[in-house]
Amino acid sequence: MTDALILAVYTVAACALLARPLSAARWAERAPRLAIAMWLSACASVVGSALLAVLTATVPADAVGHGLARLFELCTMMLAEGPGASAWAALGVCAITLSRLAASLAAVLVRARRERGRHAAMLALLGRPDRALGAIVVDYAEPLVYCLPGRAAKTVITTAALRSLSTSQVAAVLAHERAHVRGRHHLVLAAGEAFARAFPFVPLFDVARREVARLIELRADDVAARRHPRAQIAAALVGLATGRVPAFVMGAGGQSALTRVRRMLRPAAPLARGERLAGLATVALLLGGPAVVAAAPAMSAFIAHHCHALSLL
Amino acid sequence: MVRALGDLESTIMDRMWSYRRPASVRDVLEDLRREREIAYTTVMTVMDKLHKKGLLRRHPVGKAYVYETVSSKEAYTAGLMRETLASGGNQAATLVHFLERLSPEEAAALESALRVYPPKGRQE
Repeated sequence: MTDALILAVYTVAACALLARPLSAARWAERAPRLAIAMWLSACASVVGSALLAVLTATVPADAVGHGLARLFELCTMMLAEGPGASAWAALGVCAITLSRLAASLAAVLVRARRERGRHAAMLALLGRPDRALGAIVVDYAEPLVYCLPGRAAKTVITTAALRSLSTSQVAAVLAHERAHVRGRHHLVLAAGEAFARAFPFVPLFDVARREVARLIELRADDVAARRHPRAQIAAALVGLATGRVPAFVMGAGGQSALTRVRRMLRPAAPLARGERLAGLATVALLLGGPAVVAAAPAMSAFIAHHCHALSLL
Repeated sequence: MVRALGDLESTIMDRMWSYRRPASVRDVLEDLRREREIAYTTVMTVMDKLHKKGLLRRHPVGKAYVYETVSSKEAYTAGLMRETLASGGNQAATLVHFLERLSPEEAAALESALRVYPPKGRQE
């Protein structure tokens, strides 16, 4: 029962408190990929611990401790008599939670796919593929570069962008788009989106969604910077951000554009080995921690039952 | 085959946009035949499809239809781009960035961030 309580308290605390230290983490800009992994594993951790809290509250932990025979006995008993009301309720809650998450992920993916299909069909009529660039060129008066991710991925650039950027800036910005496509960033975004849509009342998920969307841009900048001068990426960013006719109202301010430009011009040192390992350990803890807590009583019961010498300690 | 039909759709739409006046299947066919062998029924099928997609509108003249574009290529492009920019909420569909609408101060900050950088790095 204690483990269920610990998990429940962790779930609530994680929802309320995890977002702050994660968004404040200054290392995230130095290691965007690790930060993305941490955000998504924090989301999974919250859902996982909530589910395990419900399950451990209803399934007797010592069932495992008395060996497989006892577990089987318990199972057959449950099958013969039917699980109790509380077990049914627990299973129901878990099923609803998981199917809600799955359904919202499916909804995000299906809608995105449909929109991409429609968009690609119109692009086939309106744009012209440029073999040399490896992109589709669209006649349009605003500088704009974007990509349609997925299996039939396409990179799109407008004529205004081609006019306002130099050749090497165009190459840099197209490399950024290809990094999105190759990194399957649309799936990463969809995962963040799915958590936020499934449980809109959890603020952590909403922050995670926004942060993941921001961090994939940093990640794509880093990948592009492997082959293209950072200064060109920065110049392309400035060109695209400032050359825009402000016809469309967008939510975010210019803060993230400024962050990205500064990051490209003055790259911070990548994480040291130790910092990286600590980050990975945190991800593992977020993902595995709840499971360990849930399994702990069963493990200790198992040890107590089979290793008497240890239990004497 | 599907790909070829898609190409034909875009070719025919481009012709229709370039005419800037209504045209029959026969008109388009004769135009296309200057460059390639193509059957009347093929052109008719594709134009019928474009009509069903809402890209061409038509009215009967005699026994055949006369087609014209519903709106200009520029209007379609503007619509598509606006939709792309507006779908910032659904980034899983189109990964659009550089979207921030900058205030003049922010734009100035961006420009100056670039200016302090040694000019050597800014050369193409």
